[in-house]
Amino acid sequence: MMLMPPFTLHHPTSVDAACELAAQLMASGESFDWVAGGTDLLPNYKWHINTKPHVISLARIEGTSTISASELGCMTRLADLTEANGVHPVIVQAASKVASSLIRTNATLGGNLCLDTRCFWYNQGEDWRRSIDWCHKADCGSGADCRVIPNQNTLCVATYQGDIAPTLMVLGASVHLIGPNGARTLPIQSFYQLDGMKKNVLEEGEFLLKVTLPEEAALRTGSYQKLRVRDSWDFPEAGVAASWIEGDPSTLVLATTALESIPRCHPEEVAAVLADGWDGAASIKALSNSLQKSVKPVNNTALPPRYRRSMVRVLTKRAVQGMVK
Amino acid sequence: MSGGYRQQPGSPGKVTRKDGKRVAGKQAFPPPGSGGSKPTMAPRDLDFIPELVGGREAQPAGAHVHDRARTGTSVGKPTALVDSNAKVTGQAWYGDDVRLANEVIGKILRSPHHYARIKSIDTSKVEALPGVLAVATGADSPHQFGVLPVTKDEHAMAVDKVRHVGDLVASVAAVDEATAMAALNLFEVEYEVLEPVFDPKKGLEDVDEPIHWRGKYHLARTNVQKRVFQEFGDRSLVQKPLASSHGKWKMAGVHHGFTEPHAVVAHWGPNGRLQLYTPQQVPHYTHRALATVLDVPMHQINVIRTFVGGGFGGKSDPFPHEMCAAILSRKAGRPVRITFDREEVYWINRGRHPSHIEVKMTADDDARISGFDIDALIDGGGFASFGHVTSYYNGVLATAPYELGSFHYTGARVWTNKPASGAMRGHGAVNTRCAVEVGLDEMADQMKVDPMDLRLANLLPPHSRTISGFRITSNGMREALEKVREGSQWDTKFRQMPLGKGIGIGCGFFISGSGLPIHWDPNRFPHATVHIQVDMDGGVTVHTGAADIGQGSTTAIAQVVSEVLALPLEMIHVKCHESDTSPVDLGSYSSRVTFMNANAAIRAALEIREQLLKAAWEILGYHPNNLVLNDRRIYYKHDPAIGTSYLKALHKAQEDKGALIASGAYRSPPMGGVHKGAAAGLAPAYSFSAYVAEVDVDVETGMIKCTKVWAAHDCGKALNPLAVKGQIIGSCHMGLGQVLSEKMVYGRTGHLQNPNLLDYKIPSVHEMPHVEPIIVESCDPEGPFGAKEAGEGPLLPILPAVVNAVYDAIGIRLRDLPLTPDVVFKGIEKGMKAAGVDDPLDLAPPRVEHGELQPLLVKRAAEHKIRDQARQRSEDTSPYVNGVLFGFDPNIPLEDQVEGWRMATEPDPEQLAALGLAGKAWLKKEQRHMGGDE
Repeated sequence: MMLMPPFTLHHPTSVDAACELAAQLMASGESFDWVAGGTDLLPNYKWHINTKPHVISLARIEGTSTISASELGCMTRLADLTEANGVHPVIVQAASKVASSLIRTNATLGGNLCLDTRCFWYNQGEDWRRSIDWCHKADCGSGADCRVIPNQNTLCVATYQGDIAPTLMVLGASVHLIGPNGARTLPIQSFYQLDGMKKNVLEEGEFLLKVTLPEEAALRTGSYQKLRVRDSWDFPEAGVAASWIEGDPSTLVLATTALESIPRCHPEEVAAVLADGWDGAASIKALSNSLQKSVKPVNNTALPPRYRRSMVRVLTKRAVQGMVK
Repeated sequence: MSGGYRQQPGSPGKVTRKDGKRVAGKQAFPPPGSGGSKPTMAPRDLDFIPELVGGREAQPAGAHVHDRARTGTSVGKPTALVDSNAKVTGQAWYGDDVRLANEVIGKILRSPHHYARIKSIDTSKVEALPGVLAVATGADSPHQFGVLPVTKDEHAMAVDKVRHVGDLVASVAAVDEATAMAALNLFEVEYEVLEPVFDPKKGLEDVDEPIHWRGKYHLARTNVQKRVFQEFGDRSLVQKPLASSHGKWKMAGVHHGFTEPHAVVAHWGPNGRLQLYTPQQVPHYTHRALATVLDVPMHQINVIRTFVGGGFGGKSDPFPHEMCAAILSRKAGRPVRITFDREEVYWINRGRHPSHIEVKMTADDDARISGFDIDALIDGGGFASFGHVTSYYNGVLATAPYELGSFHYTGARVWTNKPASGAMRGHGAVNTRCAVEVGLDEMADQMKVDPMDLRLANLLPPHSRTISGFRITSNGMREALEKVREGSQWDTKFRQMPLGKGIGIGCGFFISGSGLPIHWDPNRFPHATVHIQVDMDGGVTVHTGAADIGQGSTTAIAQVVSEVLALPLEMIHVKCHESDTSPVDLGSYSSRVTFMNANAAIRAALEIREQLLKAAWEILGYHPNNLVLNDRRIYYKHDPAIGTSYLKALHKAQEDKGALIASGAYRSPPMGGVHKGAAAGLAPAYSFSAYVAEVDVDVETGMIKCTKVWAAHDCGKALNPLAVKGQIIGSCHMGLGQVLSEKMVYGRTGHLQNPNLLDYKIPSVHEMPHVEPIIVESCDPEGPFGAKEAGEGPLLPILPAVVNAVYDAIGIRLRDLPLTPDVVFKGIEKGMKAAGVDDPLDLAPPRVEHGELQPLLVKRAAEHKIRDQARQRSEDTSPYVNGVLFGFDPNIPLEDQVEGWRMATEPDPEQLAALGLAGKAWLKKEQRHMGGDE
C-alpha cells in the first residue's frame, strides 16, 4: 500500500488570503507546497518525495479558472482547455495530448506549467531511492550525488516534461506571478530556470496566477508535436511547438520541451536559418538539423537520449510542415 | 402453453386456501422457486447437440466420446462468466478486500543491496516502538520452500544472504500502517556487501560466492541453476541446406502487469488452525509450502483463495510474504494483513525471463525443415521459481507444429541479483516461438516461396508424434492458417504494400495441461478431482480446487455440469475458494484447468446423471437408453409429455440416502518418452494458433502501430466462445505489450528502473488493434466435449506476426524485443546505410517473386490437407511420427532406420566446442564430478 504522508490542507478563497497564509507559514518557518489539480504533486507525495507538512490549495480561489483567447487562469482544467472555444488551437492540441482523459479532468494549466521535473532516479518509492543511496534532487539529508551524471553536484538534470509550456512560448504568452511580496509579470521564457530542482523563478510563497496572450497570438498558426511511446498516460519524451503568421516565414517561433530541465525557445537557431531567406523544404531541413543540435537530453526518461535528440529533427519538420503548403 | 412443457406436468392441484394458507398435505413437494426460475421447459436446442447424436451441430472432426453427454444446455453457447456480476458490482472480494476483526498491518523490510550477507539484525528498537505487535526475521523460519520440489531455494525472509534489491529481510506487524512503516526505519541491519551479478552471460562464469549453493550438484562455482541439452533426429540433414536462417535475439524481461497487487491476510483461529486468505492461482502449493515453513501439518491450515485480480502466472508461486503474514500472525495473535504496492509487485516479479536466444535453422532442397538449432540463455534472477521447467520449455515447445529433420537445443538458466523470473502466460514458449517463426519467414524469402505455404507444407498431422516424443492428438493448425490467410486477404497484401505498411504471419503451439503433476506420480493420483453434491432443493453444488483467475474456469466447470445434467447455469453453484472444502487441485497454470477439471467434473456429473436416470426409469418405466434429459426434465425420447421433472427424479434417487454425491477425477494417459526431461512439455493435448498482423511503421520515428490482427486459435471446442474470444483478444494485448513496449529495465547499476505502471509501458486502448478472433474447433478426443486450452497459446503468435509484419513494411529484420521506437529507428538507420539512402522515406520495402519451389509446396500442402482430414476423422489410424516427411517408416524405430538418428540429453565431448552461449554451461562440471563439495 502507498500511504499518503499526513499534511495539513489549507483552502484560501482569495488571492490575498492565499498570500497571507503563505506569509504566515513562512514567518513561522513551516514549509509548504501549492496544489492545484494535484495530479503531479500527490503521486510524488505518495512516493514520499519532498513532502511538506502544509499544502495550500488554489482550488477555491475565485476567478482562477478564466478561459479566453487572451487570458487563462491557473486553475483552468486541461479538459476545459481542450473543449472551450476561443483558446488557441495550438494550446488545444497540446492540452489534449497531456496524460489521459481522466487526468486531464483534474489537472490544471498552472500545475502543468509548474510541473515538477522528472527523472527515473527520482520518481520512485522510498525503498527504491534508499537502494541507490538517494539522489541530488531528493537527498534526504545525505548530500547525495546526481545519479544521471555522477560527480557533478551543482545542477539537477531532471527533465521538464510538460506539454503546454512550449506552445505558450511560441505564442508569446506572459505569466503572472503573485506572492506575499507582490505581483510580477514575465514572458514565459523567463519563467523557467535551468535547474531541475529550482525549475522556475517562483520565490517561496509565490504562485502562478494566470497566463495572458498577446493579441498577435490570434493571428498565428502552428503545431505541437509530441513524442511518446503510448498515446495515453505518457509524458512527452520530446516535444516541439511552432507558430508563425501565415505567409510570413520571418515570424516563425520554435520551442522544445521534455529534452532538458526546462522548456526552451530557439530564437538563435531560427534566426540563423532565416538569415539566408526562406527556402521551403531546404529551410525546414536546416531548422530541423539546427534544433536537433541545440538540445541536450540526458538518460533519465523512458527513451534513450540519442533517440530523443534524433527525433527533434523529425518533430520540428512535422511542426513546421504547414509552412510549405 | 407454447414454447415448452410445464416443469411439473399435470395440474398441481389446489395447494392454497382462499385465505392464502397452504392446504395441509397438498403442497407440491418442492417449495416454490426450486428447480430453476422459469416455469416451463425450454425446447431442446438441437443447434447445440452434435449431429451424430441427433442434433444439428456439425462435426467435421467426427464423433467425440462426450457426445452422448451433450444436452444442448450450455456447451458452445456464449456465456457471461458466472462471477461477472460480483465483479462489475464491486462485490468480488479480492486479496485486499478481506477485513477480519482486530486485524493488524504487516510490512516488509527489504534489502537495499543487490547482494549482501546479513551479519546481524537488531530488532530491539522496533520491538520497543509502541503499536508494534510482532517482529519476524529469517531466524523465525529456517525452512526452505519453492514452487518446484526439486528447487526449493526460498525462505520466508532472508537467511544469511539477500539476493536482490527488494529481497525480504524482516517483517513487522503493527496496529496501523503508519506505525508499521515507522517501525521499518528502526531495524538495524548490518550487511556485508557482496559482488553482484547482473548479466546472465556472467552467470556462466565461476565466482567466489555463487548466489545459491547446490552442494554436490552445483555446477563448478557458476551461477547456473539449470542446464539442458537435447538432440533428436539426424543432424546430417542440416548439411548443404538450400536455405538457412541464423538469428540472435535479445528479449527483455516482462512482467504480467496484473491489476491486483499481491495481498494476503493470515489468521490463526481460536482452535489453533491457520486461515490464509490470498489471491493465488495455485493455492495448493501455498498450502504445502506453509506446512513446511510453519512446521504444522497441512490439515491445520485452510488456504482461502480470494478472487484473483489477474494472475497470468505471476501468482502461482508460494510467496514469502504469505509466509511472513502467517509467521507474524502467529506471533501477534491477531490477523495480519500485508498488501503490496506496485514496486513490491515488481520486486517479487516471476515475470518472463530476460533471454538471449539464438536460433539456427535450415531447409533442404524440398523446402523441408531439416533442422532447428536453438540456444537459450535465460536470466532467472535471484531464485529458481518455475525456472527448471522454463529451461526445458524454451526448447521443447518448438518441436511442433512443424515436422523437423533434426532438433538441437541447449538451454541454461542462471541466477542473477535481480528479482526472480518465473512463469508467465505462454510459459517458456513465447520467446523461442517468436525467434523460430521469424526464422521461417527469412528462409521463405531465401527460397522465394510464400511463408504461408512453407508452413502449410511442413505441418505435423493430427494424431502424430513430435521429434521429441510428444503425442499430438487433435491439430487444427492447418485450418487456423487457412482461415487467417483468407480473412486477412494475405495473397493480395504480402510483399505488395507500400513502404511503412506491412503484414506478417506467426504460429503458435502450446500445452493444454502439463502431463506431469509436479508433486506426485500421475499414475497413482489424479491431476484433478471434482465433487458434486445435489440435495433436496435441486441445486447442484460443485466442489473444485480450480482457481478462477479471471479466465473463467468457474464458469467452464458450471457449464459442463449444467450441460450433462441439463440444468440451467443458475442451478449450478461452484465452490472453489477453500482448501477445507475443495478437493486437491494443482491450480491454474500450464493451461490445465478446463482440460483437467472439466473432464473431472463431467465424470462426476455423469455419475449423478446415471442416478437420476435410474430413478426416472423407476418412475416412468422406460430404460435410460430411451430417456432424454432436457431443461429440468427427463422424458421418453419419442414423447416429451411422458416424463418426470428433474426434481421428482432427484427425490426418487434420494430416497433412503439423502443428498446425491459423486466424485470425478481426471488422470492423463501414460505418454511420452523416457529420456531425461521427457516429461517437460508433455501434455494430454496441444493447442495451435496462427495470427496475421498488419502494422503501420512510421519510418521517420520508428513508431510501430499494429492496426489489425486476424487471430485463429484451435481450442478444440469452444465451451464458451465468448470467453475464448476474450482470451484471444487479451492475449493479443499482452503479447503486443511484449513485442512493442513492455520491458523491465535494469539500468547501469542493476536497479530495476521502472517498477511502476507509468514507466512499465503496458499498451493503452490507443495501441490496441482491431482483433478478429477466429475460433478453430478440432475437437480433441480427450478434451472435455473436445475442448483444449485457450488461455496461453493465443499469446504466442502475435509476437512473430508483428516482427514479420515490420519486416514486410520496412525490409529490416529486428531481433531486439521490445521493438520500442528507438530500437526500430536504430534498425532503420542501419538499413538506410546499407541501402545507401539519406531519407528513410526512400527505403524500398521487400518484394517477392515466387520461385520454382512455390508450386511444389502448394501441391504438397494440398496433399497433406487430405492426409490430415482423414487422420482427424480417424479414417486413417496408421501411426505417424515426425520423420515420415523425410521418408522414414513410422512403424520401425527411427534409430534403427537411420544411421546417425540420435536421441541425446548430454552433449558428446566433441560437440562441446561448438555449443552456443547457453551451451557453454556444459563446459563446466558438477561438484560431485570435481571431487569437491559432498
